[in-house]
Amino acid sequence: QGGGSAVIDMENMDDTSGSSFEDMGEMHQRMKEEEEEEAEGEAGAAEEEDGEFLGVKGLQGQLGRQVADQGGKMWQAGKRQASKAFSLYANIDILRPYFDVEPVQVRARLLESMIPVKMINFPQKIAGELYGPLMLVFTLVAILLHGMKTSDTIIREGTLMGTAIGTCFGYWLGVSSFIYFLAYLCNAQITLVQMLSLLGYGLFGHCITLFVTYNIHFHSLFYIFWLGVGGLSTLRMVAVLLSRTVGHTQRLILCGTLAALHMLFLLYLHFAYHKVVEGILDTLEGPNMPPFQRVARDIPVVSNVVLNTTAKAVALTL
Amino acid sequence: SGFVPPDMVQQQPYTGQIYQPTQAYTPTSAQSFYGSNFEDEPPLLEELGINFDHIWQKTLTVLHPLKVADGTIMNETDLAGPMVFCLAFGATLLLAGKIQFGYVYGISAIGCVGMFCLLNLMSMTGVSFGCVASVLGYCLLPMILLSTFAIVFSLQGITGIILTAGVIGWCSFSASKIFISALAMEGQQLLVAYPCALLYGVFALISVF
Repeated sequence: QGGGSAVIDMENMDDTSGSSFEDMGEMHQRMKEEEEEEAEGEAGAAEEEDGEFLGVKGLQGQLGRQVADQGGKMWQAGKRQASKAFSLYANIDILRPYFDVEPVQVRARLLESMIPVKMINFPQKIAGELYGPLMLVFTLVAILLHGMKTSDTIIREGTLMGTAIGTCFGYWLGVSSFIYFLAYLCNAQITLVQMLSLLGYGLFGHCITLFVTYNIHFHSLFYIFWLGVGGLSTLRMVAVLLSRTVGHTQRLILCGTLAALHMLFLLYLHFAYHKVVEGILDTLEGPNMPPFQRVARDIPVVSNVVLNTTAKAVALTL
Repeated sequence: SGFVPPDMVQQQPYTGQIYQPTQAYTPTSAQSFYGSNFEDEPPLLEELGINFDHIWQKTLTVLHPLKVADGTIMNETDLAGPMVFCLAFGATLLLAGKIQFGYVYGISAIGCVGMFCLLNLMSMTGVSFGCVASVLGYCLLPMILLSTFAIVFSLQGITGIILTAGVIGWCSFSASKIFISALAMEGQQLLVAYPCALLYGVFALISVF
């Protein structure tokens, strides 16, 4: 009895201080100590019982077993307490409904994210789902890593992986929160999960553009993709937001900010992680550069004079 | 006729040890019975939980992509096999001149945590961290073959890209197949395979570049 059950004895919680986590921790500690006292009491009794038969069993065997049992019990109690704290703080089950999707739905939403809607007079439906956006952010991370590895980018302060993850997740979470804040100011009908979902699916265009242009290096091709593919996904997000906002000024602020940030992010990703490749291409395929010139080292006369004077001075002192 | 207690009818053989209340308690493992004989202890491999037959079964399940996976083989979490595979992967990278054990372990750890969170969110029944680590570790085996190939031939041509894509597909297909059968998530194999493909893609990046 008292084997780690989560039932709290309400008698001890009459006073107002009984509901804080520290006090719960104390309760658990007290329960654990009571358990151990019980266990020790039992063990002590058992020891005395077996202690009479020293010659038969051997004191070592019994004591060893009791100590191991004690150690085991303490480990169990500690593990139970840690798992209780973990389940209290890290309850990810609240995110469970957002991951309940079928592959068909994900594919449909991916394709829809590139098609701007025409009807902006009544609110468009946004699926509040987080699996697709999360996978798209990870795909963007993988594409960035691939691009950095191909172009031999060297990150001085930090690692490649950390930079890629920080950039992509920072954009997704940061810009979503910022636009959600603006939407709150502009009275737009959108929740944070919907905003995360919308922006996440909007990264599909970015993934396609970067995947193509990191492997085929043409500046004009990048600009075509930037305007075409990036523009389509931005238009889709803007149209959805327009349908959910009332008032010209508010619409302008919200959609203008989102469009600017989204397009500029694609521009940034291309140029920040792609510079080195351009440099290499210029040397290999660019206009004819003169071959490396060997220039003879020209030792100026001044230094010779200084050297001779110094040598003479040293000789004189010796 | 009197009442005869049943004990009296059956004579217990005299073992020379009387008043042993704990005699009825026969220990099954050597951990709780420190004073036992040497011959009574179970074999070392059994004590450590390394079962070669199961390891071989799991390896075959991974290597043969079309073989139907048995959901129960993943019930016992075995981390000996995955540890050996991670070390082997690091060793093959070392032979190719890349000293990147740190990356291998770091990405394995982060990937396992990520997959653990995702699978717990997506499945009806939960999954333990040991199971996830075990499955992901076993399915690393084709990646070891890829990095062995990369010792001798460079993977940066068009054949390298095709081979790398094929191996990533093989690894993620096997991993998702085992997860689906262990967690009863029919119809979501693609959804589980894609994050596995991303994880193995990062490993492939280390092998190729």
